[in-house]
Amino acid sequence: MALKGDLPPIKCAMETFVQSVVSGVLTGSLYAMIGVGLTIVFGVMRIINMAHGDMVMLGMYGAFWAHVAWKMDPFLSIILWVPAGFVGGLIIYRFLLRKIVPAGELNTLLYTAGLSLFVANVALLVWTGDYRTIKLPYAIMPLRPLGIAVPIPLAIAFGMAILVTCGLYWFLVHTDTGRAIRATSQEPEAAALMGISVGRISMITFGLGTALACGAGVLLAPSLYLYPTVGEILVAKCFVIVVLGGLGSVPGAIAGGLLLGLAESLGAVYVSVPYKDAIGFVMFLLVLLFRPAGLFGEGKS
Amino acid sequence: MCRKLLAGLLVLNLVIWAGIVGAQDTLKIGAPQPMTGPDAPFGDKFKKAYSQAVDEINGAGGVNGKKIEVVIEDHQAKNPLAATVTEKLITQNKVLVLTGGRASGQAVEIASVAQRLKTPYVVDHPSADIITAKGFEWVFRNNPTGSIYPQAFNMFISEVEQAMPKSAAVVYDNTVFGKSIANSAMVFLKSKNVPIVNDEAYAVNTLDFKPVMTKVKAQNPDFLLMVAVSTTDAILLTRHAKAMGVNPRAFVGFGGGFGVADFANELGPLSENVFSSAAWSGTPNEPATKAFYDKFHKKYGIYPKEHEVEGYAAIYIIADALRRAKLTGNLEQDREAVRQALLQTDMTTVFGKVKFGNWAGPLGDKYTNQNIYSPEHSVLAQWRGGKLLNVYPKTNAETECIFPDPTCKR
Repeated sequence: MALKGDLPPIKCAMETFVQSVVSGVLTGSLYAMIGVGLTIVFGVMRIINMAHGDMVMLGMYGAFWAHVAWKMDPFLSIILWVPAGFVGGLIIYRFLLRKIVPAGELNTLLYTAGLSLFVANVALLVWTGDYRTIKLPYAIMPLRPLGIAVPIPLAIAFGMAILVTCGLYWFLVHTDTGRAIRATSQEPEAAALMGISVGRISMITFGLGTALACGAGVLLAPSLYLYPTVGEILVAKCFVIVVLGGLGSVPGAIAGGLLLGLAESLGAVYVSVPYKDAIGFVMFLLVLLFRPAGLFGEGKS
Repeated sequence: MCRKLLAGLLVLNLVIWAGIVGAQDTLKIGAPQPMTGPDAPFGDKFKKAYSQAVDEINGAGGVNGKKIEVVIEDHQAKNPLAATVTEKLITQNKVLVLTGGRASGQAVEIASVAQRLKTPYVVDHPSADIITAKGFEWVFRNNPTGSIYPQAFNMFISEVEQAMPKSAAVVYDNTVFGKSIANSAMVFLKSKNVPIVNDEAYAVNTLDFKPVMTKVKAQNPDFLLMVAVSTTDAILLTRHAKAMGVNPRAFVGFGGGFGVADFANELGPLSENVFSSAAWSGTPNEPATKAFYDKFHKKYGIYPKEHEVEGYAAIYIIADALRRAKLTGNLEQDREAVRQALLQTDMTTVFGKVKFGNWAGPLGDKYTNQNIYSPEHSVLAQWRGGKLLNVYPKTNAETECIFPDPTCKR
């Protein structure tokens, strides 16, 4: 008796593979967006921002409250939270970070780690530790083009993440401020000699990084659960992504994000779920061993 | 500034002391529960259940003229914190007896501390076998162990015609609870020669089950068995399984996450016909249970389920032991007296009959002070229109079972 569910083995194996790749790329695009924010901040200011995951968390809560309180579509709320994140980033930089940046990378690392604990615990106090979800009526069942399941919230987030990342790329390549950011990233002293105000560029970059994190949070919220310490998981992934691609490199962060998404998805399917996260970290260690500057990084003397 | 702060602290300290001294004539029961964090909804359930029981008992004159009091400490569903707050309850709050715990991982910690500090611990809900299989004479358990959970499901597949799975995929969380339930279910399935096509553990609060379910879909199992201690995992497992197109004859969930109202609230139509193999066989058709349901509903506006029933019953078991124990006011002697009284427990609560004894479980674990009636307490329920209804065994059924799953195309 031929059962409807039984596909020929090869077609079935193919479908599983394509499904894993699709899931991996979808998730990877969001990882990339978070990673890009972290990497530009590092590139310009040499700040390893441990609080980046918490900025993502704030974006997630932003989308949640916009949905619950104002009945706003969570994806639409990105137009609110990206500018809010930008302004928030400017304020954090101006009043909290500016003085500590000259003290060196280790100090800023500890400082942002403290900031991360602070933000997460304030969130815990205000919003409690309850898990929350955004329920979207149109997001219950996935699209099924060619038998491949594509969850709708992830598909929307994927599209928007691509738009935002491309927009950022265009901004960095074609605008004066963007060029100044890249110049500062490559050689801060030379940039300063060329008349670039490194302080102002740093502030803008930190704002951009925070805006990207908040934006990614908004896009992630409908697919994930949100709780105040969700940032911890995300920031660990972020570091893998950014180091994979090379600290400070935007294309590297994009590649790193996609690579991690794919590794997790394929790893869970073809190796084992408990090793899913281990695979990411093994890649991380291998890259550190053999290409310490990352896949796209340029070694600095 | 500094002095003001110091003075403030002193005053605060005095207030706390006054509170402790003032409350000394109550009999204190300590309950570590997750009041914040991912498991907070469960902590809230138990808190309500305890207050309901405490109010009733105190309203009827208390225990030998003394009022009882439940002191809840928040362990945020974190195992190390559970040990810390238990120690605090025993040494600082000076509780006579402990209950609560919520999840097995935390209960294992609580049991170890209780055993070390010689304080009786009446487990109300955590179900990993190991809690009562370590030979701890200070630990008692009313509810069934993890390896008993799947008993109703095992009976269902063995007794109902055509229900024996042709293959099964098992996905479970890597907690003490998840592993013991999955192990118990798999041992039984293997004994019936059912091929296990997927045997996979995940970390609690995995945010993405799509890859696992992609794999499961390729294996095309006849039954999908999922074990989740956390509600969010239960919801995401089910959602991602259905989203990825896993299409078994039955989705079967084990563990607290599959038995709470949030499961249906969050999943909506996706929860329909999902089975939940749970640890309480009571039905609202029995008069005693119905009376409890009505009281609870009147007070809190919700109908209780497994967790509330377990918490409520535990307080009654403890009150019964306190009533029989000869309390002298010496904390150490009193704790021993309560332990001796618990050993003599022989009563019926809303949860069912209870008598603690030493016996061997279905997988051969040697239990100490485990309720000897546990094997009668397993039940298979099914989500129907947002409500969880008992479907098997027939004696406890609230409705007819829907099987195979109507969405299954085979």
